Amino acid sequence: MSRRGLLLMGQCMPCIKQNASKIRIRRMEMDKNLNMYFKKDEFYFAHDPQKVCKTGDVVLIRELPERLTRLITHAVEKVVYPLGDITDPLTGKKVVVGKYREDIEMANQLFGKSSKAFDYEKAPPRGRLEGTKDFTHGETYIKYHEDGKDQPFAV
Amino acid sequence: MNKLLNVAQAVPRQFVREYAFKSDLKIKWVRPEKIACFKPEKSGDLSKLPPLNPNEILPEFRDCKELEKADEAVKAQFLLSNNASYLTTKFYRDEMVKEVQRHAQDFGSMEAKLAKMTAVIRRYQERMDSHPRDKMIKVRLKELIDKRKKFLKYLRRWDYPRFEWILERLDLVYKPPPAQFHWITRKESLQKLTDTYCENLKEERLEAYHKQLQAQQIPFLEEAIKKMQFVRQEQISCDVPVTVTEEHIAESKRQLAQLKELRQAEEAASSQKQNEDGFN
Repeated sequence: MSRRGLLLMGQCMPCIKQNASKIRIRRMEMDKNLNMYFKKDEFYFAHDPQKVCKTGDVVLIRELPERLTRLITHAVEKVVYPLGDITDPLTGKKVVVGKYREDIEMANQLFGKSSKAFDYEKAPPRGRLEGTKDFTHGETYIKYHEDGKDQPFAV
Repeated sequence: MNKLLNVAQAVPRQFVREYAFKSDLKIKWVRPEKIACFKPEKSGDLSKLPPLNPNEILPEFRDCKELEKADEAVKAQFLLSNNASYLTTKFYRDEMVKEVQRHAQDFGSMEAKLAKMTAVIRRYQERMDSHPRDKMIKVRLKELIDKRKKFLKYLRRWDYPRFEWILERLDLVYKPPPAQFHWITRKESLQKLTDTYCENLKEERLEAYHKQLQAQQIPFLEEAIKKMQFVRQEQISCDVPVTVTEEHIAESKRQLAQLKELRQAEEAASSQKQNEDGFN
């Protein structure tokens, strides 16, 4: 392994390995024959004992001076963009698609906000529905065997 | 000539039968029963629509003063249950949107759209239960379920807190689609089952071996301490350079004490667990 400490940015993928996160680095690769670029994925396992990054987050990973295990070659440096919780880097405000959360909130107040409506202040951090209603933290598969047990990730 | 000799002396290659290979492992494969895609267990609806109140009046006439004074026969005309089915669907839809909408005029936000779809989907699912051959509803239902799934996917990417909140409010389950589609075949399923079987077997044996090695640790250390003491005594009495120091022996004794403590704690924990299981 090199000592250059290469930094890479990629997206976190569902991973069953303990203490590690699977990061997908997506690059464009030139196909000389068709003279076109195509997506090419590379997967790295990054050391992440605290499970800082969750599935879908855009993270920075740094190459370790020497590989930790046979698979783990990188360490998670920081989470740049948590999935669905984007902060605009210029203004530092939270964004939803093309609007600031503030603006949406202001519009709601003008129309008379409903008491049952969703409130960002009351929203707990991500991950409370994992394994009950939200199964995006793991890979799903097509059910191929009926063993009488509950298979939460079978589709 | 040499080549020929080589060929003659070569060990005959083991005969491997790769075609029509049948494993003699006792693995039984059960093909999972097909669940129609519009069923609630596939579409991700955990709850059903609440039962309709039989005295529910049409929403437009809810505050009508004349209707209160009217005759029973007239009143019955304005009951939701005596009117067309689509009006009940509309009623459910509006009720569900009210639960999640941002303000009283909001019918187009993502959560309002999802609530609308969910109400209609559940209504159509009821319809499919009572009329399984209604192809029109089946097609609409399938399309709606797919659309709702797509919208949930978008909402998750845009706004995770809201996505989780809507899953809770509408009582939905979101499962991402599998990486690739493939038909379920006997051969492939059996291969997967065999793989898991082998993995389990490997882990089991490794665990057993680990236990066996752990059991040898204490006797080994006791033996080692005895031998170290003996060697030290011999070295001192024979007047040769002493290689085994007191620290070495103390270190080993400390390790032994630690190990014994650890084992006792483990035993206590396991016995306690057994007791609890017995009580339950």
